[in-house]
Formats: sequence, C-alpha cells, structure tokens
Amino acid sequence: MQEQWHDIDPPKRAEQFFEWYCNDWLVETIGGDLYERYIDNYSKYGRKKANRKYWFDVIRFINRHTLKRSKNSKFNNMSIFNNYVKVGFRNLVRNRAFTVINTLGLSVSMAVCLIIILLINDQLSYDKFQLNRDSIYRFTHSRAEGINLGMATIPHPLGAEAQKRFAGMTEVVNFHRLGGEVESNGKALDIFGLYASPNLFELFSYKLKSGDPKTALVEPYSIVLKAEIAEKFFKDEDPIGKEMKIGNRGTYKITGVLEKLPGKTHIRFDAFASESSTAALTEKGLDMWGLNNWQNGSQTWTYFKLQEGYGPEQLQVVLDEIAAEFYNEDSDMNPTFDIQAMSNITPGPLYGNQIGDGMPNFFVIGLSILAGLIMVCAAFNYTNLSAARAVTRTKEVGVRKVMGAKRGQLTFQFIIESILLSLFSLVLAVVFLRFLKPAFEGLQISSMLNWQLELTTTSYVQFVGFAIVLGIVTGLFPSLYLSSFNAINAMKGALSKKKLSGWALRKTLIVVQFMISIVLITSSVLVYKQIQYIVDKDYGYTKENIINIDLQGQDYATLKTELETLPFIENITASNIIPNTGVSNFTEAWRETKDESVDLNYLSVDENYLDILELDLVAGENFKKDAESLNRKSVLINEKALEAFGFQTPLDALGETLYIEEGDTLVANVIGVLKDFNYQFIFVGIEPLLIKFEPESYQYAQLKISGFDLTEEMVAIDKIWDEFDPKHELKAQTFQGQQDEFNKFFYDILYIVGLIAVLSISIAGMGLLGISAFAIQARMKEVSIRKVLGANVKSIIFMLSRSFIIMLSIALILGFSIAYLGNKVWLDMFAYRTNFGFDIFFFTALGLIGVAVATIGWQAIRATSTNPASTLRDD
Amino acid sequence: MNQKLGEFEEIVLLFVAAQHEAAYGLSVTKAIEDELGRSVTMSSVHTALYRLEEKGFVESKLGDAEGNRRGRRKRIFVITAQGKTALHEARDARMRVWDMIPDFVMKFV
Repeated sequence: MQEQWHDIDPPKRAEQFFEWYCNDWLVETIGGDLYERYIDNYSKYGRKKANRKYWFDVIRFINRHTLKRSKNSKFNNMSIFNNYVKVGFRNLVRNRAFTVINTLGLSVSMAVCLIIILLINDQLSYDKFQLNRDSIYRFTHSRAEGINLGMATIPHPLGAEAQKRFAGMTEVVNFHRLGGEVESNGKALDIFGLYASPNLFELFSYKLKSGDPKTALVEPYSIVLKAEIAEKFFKDEDPIGKEMKIGNRGTYKITGVLEKLPGKTHIRFDAFASESSTAALTEKGLDMWGLNNWQNGSQTWTYFKLQEGYGPEQLQVVLDEIAAEFYNEDSDMNPTFDIQAMSNITPGPLYGNQIGDGMPNFFVIGLSILAGLIMVCAAFNYTNLSAARAVTRTKEVGVRKVMGAKRGQLTFQFIIESILLSLFSLVLAVVFLRFLKPAFEGLQISSMLNWQLELTTTSYVQFVGFAIVLGIVTGLFPSLYLSSFNAINAMKGALSKKKLSGWALRKTLIVVQFMISIVLITSSVLVYKQIQYIVDKDYGYTKENIINIDLQGQDYATLKTELETLPFIENITASNIIPNTGVSNFTEAWRETKDESVDLNYLSVDENYLDILELDLVAGENFKKDAESLNRKSVLINEKALEAFGFQTPLDALGETLYIEEGDTLVANVIGVLKDFNYQFIFVGIEPLLIKFEPESYQYAQLKISGFDLTEEMVAIDKIWDEFDPKHELKAQTFQGQQDEFNKFFYDILYIVGLIAVLSISIAGMGLLGISAFAIQARMKEVSIRKVLGANVKSIIFMLSRSFIIMLSIALILGFSIAYLGNKVWLDMFAYRTNFGFDIFFFTALGLIGVAVATIGWQAIRATSTNPASTLRDD
Repeated sequence: MNQKLGEFEEIVLLFVAAQHEAAYGLSVTKAIEDELGRSVTMSSVHTALYRLEEKGFVESKLGDAEGNRRGRRKRIFVITAQGKTALHEARDARMRVWDMIPDFVMKFV
C-alpha cells in the first residue's frame, strides 16, 4: 500500500536547499529518512502541514555533521586567518620604510576623504524629518535670455493656476520673504521670516510646541516663531498672544511656537507669518512686490504634494500649457517652468533665488574629485611599492604553495595585509581628522553653507567600511600578482627580474601620480596669482585710510554732523554701494525720450565722493557744495557711458540732458565725465556708469581719516555711534577689509587646492623615494661591478636616474597641458585675470625636479658610495 | 574508552539495540515518539547517532531502501561491544541509585 506514495513531491526548494548544504556521504540516508517522514506526515496531516514540517526538518538538520566542508580547508580556518594577520603584521614591522611611506600617505589622504564623507553625510541629512519628503515638489523657472540659471522662485499666480488644472496637486504652499527689524530690549534685531499659506503644517512636518496648526496661519498678521527665536525674544515667558512689530511690515500676533527642528532643512526661516497678511498690507498701500503678477518671477516659492498615482511628467505638460498661454515673445519674461522634487534640492543642482543655503552639487563633486585624486596618489604608492617588493616575498609564496596553499588563499592573504595597513592608516587618519576638521570648519564657505561635520557612530562605521574597501582595492593588484608565481620557480628564485619589477605598469602609475601633482600645484599657484592680481590691481581709485560705516537705515546728514566733531576725520562722504564687493545697481537712461535706452550701473553719492576716492574728472565738474536741488538734477558719467550714449568727446556730453528711469523718469544734465575706474565684481569689466546725487539711497558713510592707529579711531567712532543710534551695533570696516571679506571665498579655494597640492606632491615624492630606493637596491651588484671596472660616479648616477628623468618629463608635459586647459575654463570667466605665464610652469617644474633629484639623487649617491666589496662578497 | 554516555544518547542507544540490525534514524525517532511519548526531532536523533558512532558505541553501514524512500538507502546502526558495555554500566549506575532508596519511600506512592 505504501508504494503508491512515490509520486508525491516534498517542497522543491527545501529539497534543493538540503542537497545544497548536506555533504555527500549523508545526503542519501538523511534524504531517505526525510522523505519517509514526509510521506508519513502527508498521510496523517495533509500536504500543507507536511510541507511545513519538511522545511522545519531540513533546517534543523543543519549542523556540523551534515554541512559540506570546503575541500581545500582541511585545517582550521580561523587559525590560518590568524596566521595571515600575524605574518602581515610582521611584514609591516620588518619593512619599516615601506610601512611609514604607505601609512603616512594613506592616512593623510584618507583624512581628507573622511572630511568629504562627513560633508556628504551632512548634505544628505537635509529634510530627512519631513514625513512627506518623497512626495513634496516645488516649481522652478528658467528664462531663455540673460543668465541661463534656474530660479527657485516663480510668478505667484502659477501655483493656483496649476492646481486648478491638475487634480494630482494638493497642499499648495506659497512662501514670500518677510524681512525687517524687530525691537527687543532697546536693541534692533533682524528677523528672517517667510509668509506662508495656512496649510503649511499639512505639507511640512513642523511640529508646534504651542498653538493650533490648523488656525495658526489663518488670520492676517499672525506669526509662528521658531523655538530659538521665541527664546531669544521672550526668554522664559510664554510668547503666545504677544505682539511683534516687524520693520514696516506691520505688527504681528504670535499664534504659535515651533518645536526645535529635529534636523536640517533647506528652507531658511526664523518665523512663518500668515499669507493673508500680504493682502492686508497691499490694501494699506504697501507694495507687496507684484503678488498676483505673472511678470514677477522672483518673489514666490511654491511647494506642493503630488498625490499617489500622479507623476511629475503629467504636471509638466500642464506647466508647458500655462507657459504658452500666459507668455509670448513680447512679455517681460518668457519662462520655462520646471518641477523639482524636494529630495533633489539639497544636495542638488545650483539654483538662483534659493530659499535657504544648500551647497550646490558641483561643489561636493569638485571636493570629492580633489580628495579622490590624492587618494589615488596614495593608493598608487601602495600598489607600486608592494609590487616592487614582491621579490622579498617569493620564497614565502613558494613555500606556502608547496605546503598546499591555493592561489585564492594567497590572494586573500595579501589582501588581508593591505586591509591591515589601511585600517592602521585609518587610526592615524582619524587623528589627522581632529586637526583638519576645525580648519575646514573655519573656512568662510563652511559657515556660509552651514556645514556641520558631526562624528557619529554611523560615520565611524562608514570610515571602517571605507578603509576596508580601500584596502581591497589597493591590495588587489599586488596580491593577484604575488599569488601568480609558479611554486618551483619562486622557491628557486628563478623569477626573472623583469617580470618581478612590472615596469610598464609602475612607470605609468608614477607618471600619473606626478601628473596629478603638477596639475594641482599649477592650479593653486594660479589661484594665488589671480588673488594677488585682484588685490594689487589698481582699480583707479584709492582705498587708503578710508573707513566705511553701514548706516543701517539711519540718517546720513545727522551722523555726518556728529562725526565731524572728531579731529582725525578729514572728510566724509556717502554712497549706496561699496565698489568691488559684488553689489551693483542697474538703471536705464535715454538721450531723447524715444531713443534706444542704455543700460547703466549707478552710484548714489554726495559732493565729497570724488575727493575721497581720488577719482579724476576728464571734463566738466563735480557736484556743488550746499546745492542739493541743483545737484539732484545733475549726473556724472564715466567714459564707457560716454561711448554708450554716442558722444564723440567728453566736452560734447557736458550740459546734455539724460532721461533716467526711476519710477518716474528723472531728467538730469550731465555736468561731468569721469575717467573710467573699476567699481564692479571682478568677473566683469568696466561698464557704463552713472553717478547720481541722491541722499535717500545712501547706505554707507565713508570717512577719510588721517591717523594710522586704527583701533583708537574705531573706538572714538564707536562711541559717537552708540550715542547716535543705541539700537544698532556699529558696523564699520576699512575699505580694504570690506573687499577682503568679499574675496575670502577665493582664499578658501586657494587653501583647499593648495593643501591638496602640497599633500599630493609629498605623497608622490614619498612614493618616488620608495620606488627609487628599491630599483637601485635591485641594481646594486651591477653598480658595484661597473665601479670595479672603472665607471665614474657621475655616469653611474646618470644611469640610475635616467628612466626616472624620462618619466618625470612625460609627467611634466602631460600635467602642464591638462593644467592649462582646465584652468583656462575658470580663468576666462574673469574680466581681470592674471596670465599663465612662463613663470608658473617654470617654478612648478623646478620644484618638482628638485623633489625628484633630491630623492633619486640621494639614493643614487648612496648606491655609488657603498664599497663594491660589501655587495659582491656573497658571489 | 572513557567516553561518557549522555542521557539522550542512552535512550537512542537502547533503541538501536532493541531494533537489532534494523535501526536507522527515522525508526529510532518513531520508536522514541511512540514508545516513550516524547517528541523529538529527527535531526537530534541523527546527531545522537553520529555522536555515538564517533564514540565507538555503534557502527553504521548502508542498508536496504525499503519504504517510501525513492530508492535511497538507509544507514543501519548496530550496537558494538563497547556500546553494550556502556549500556550495562549505565544500567548498573542506575540500579545502584535505586538501591539507595529506602524501602518505605517507594511503598506509598
């Protein structure tokens, strides 16, 4: 009766699994037992339960009796592993020079890589606390004309219009800027707020500590504060229901306080105010920057949620329709609208008008490339030196092979060695990181972009993972190579020297290393030269002994009379912008009302400006003293503007009328023509400039002082300021200082590139030292014989260094070509730029050759100065 | 020689002896389940048998393929002399302990 059960199959997977793990001498009998049991259970309980029991039995059968043993590991795996580690460690200790060169190189470059890992972690931490993070999107726009940079802002009506036409879009939230001063304890503090739609809390996961998320942003003039801001203004008091006057934007009632944010977000804000306030402000006659205006694309950020089942592609179609309907060639703007997922914002591509500060992708990529480059240099050292050192390991490889080691095991052994070295370097790298991190955080870009490099457990796990991967990658080539030896030849030492040295590959690696160093050094020297050029350049005006004071909205005339009491002040003027600090103001003007307009930059100054900055007039005269109404109808232009308006000579322009766009058109006479001077961002050359007399737009007071001891003057000025405006802190700087601050960004880049360049050249130098020491060691007998036969020292040194000289020359040629082409790209963006010049190449080459000659020469001289007898004695 | 016989091993060994020349993994498992009413997994019985073999208390050989086995042979376990000694010793040890029990203790169960 039992025979008919033969056609019933137990679960196939379980059977396969069993056959896979069970060893050959048990698979038959246990398999039989299992099947018999299965049939028993099948007849007793039915298929389902029998299947389950079969699985259970199969799993329970896994034990030391049944498991397959790998054929080549008849011995204990753990103890051979211990042996690998032990031998590896002894090798590292024995070859001290090799170990030092490698650990130093690896750990320094690792430390830089660790910084990048931390940086990327920081960037990836943005917006992680937003529960809807995968379904939140925002609109962006870009324009065909002008700069082709995407803008994170869009025209205000777009959000509502798109929602009307596309059902999948919900929870549309608009943001607008709300900035102004808030008075607290007699001091004025800036607040950085956002007007937001009432459904803000539906879309974003901001938790309220107090207040009702449903109603907090409904009423006009309601405001919800960030926890830190509430603390700053109200200390321990409960801020709910209190009022806050923000600049000229009205008085707001506090309806909520947020809990401390659980993480970073790309949206920068101190407070959220109700969007309905903007309508109320417009009614009061305050210009709310063209809300509801399709032509203004720079004031509103729009975020929304895409319902499940709807994709951004479908919405894109709707956006294209809208763009086609509301704009045409003649509109002020003719934009293309795009959709950006929130997960792509930080880290993400570069956008203009960002709602907060995130680091653009290219920056992370650029830094990663730099870190990767020196990592490559250090890894090459390891690969190179291990391959070169292979000779010393041939006997070991031979013995291990004879004892039955398989190739895979030997590869594994040597990879373990490199992992060991790389983990060892990691320890050092973490020590270096302690020094590198504060330096990195001290950079201006760091605070600008709000970098927070935190060492967490996760980051340490990543570090170890990184070190292991690095160990495998660097060790792969040498270990494959070492394990490939034929056992007998290896024992006999009959491996040809040629095969051992692996020259072709090693030469390539050295050339690449030096090429990288050359590119980096040339680049950093160039960045340095460019900065010096910018700083030292004669801009056509003087910055000596001038202090700039930020007026912070205070009246210039009053301050001027106060300051004039100070004995060391020679002269005072006022202006709306400080030249060469990246700020410019644009306007347009016509000669006749119907004429083509001319785009101009403009400055608003008073009659002392030309004297203080030592600007020269080509023709005409300056603004007059105590003649405000006359001055307001007069303008100065520069030579470029003269050209743009089509005047033949400076004298032609004098007395001519210009119509200047300024709300209403300002009609003014040209009273003077200035010699061109550079007032703009250094990327740009000198452009047409108009100088107006316009006291209401003054932002800075500029003082010419006679003294040299700055601190004393600053103290005196500070004292006057405190009485004059107790609410604000004095914001004063020297002219040069203010420009330096603006240029700091370039210094940051110089530091980074320079540091990497120094590291790369030291790593490459160390590598060269190791490799040349080795190569020369291998030729010691040859050197000795040549010496015995009467060769002179000079010819021997030349013989030993010839191949290195060839390699370096190739590296120099390749490196310079790459450096030239690469650096031209950014250098060409500057209107005022330094040139590559022969000097850069010359000094880089000189430095590099110096390093090479020192290392190779040292080794070569050591080789030639040994007594031939000591090396030839053995033979 | 001084191999110890574990409690579970003793039971398994007893059944191997009982099912003379016909004891294999599943038959012992079934016997323990049926005769003693203990639930055991097949793998633990197998493990015990291999361990007994390592200790020299049983010997194994490949047997027939009767039953629902799809032609796969059984591994038949047979008790060795050493195994018999071990069983005797185990029983003696037990009996000694039995003897230590005062008569009255067991009388009024």
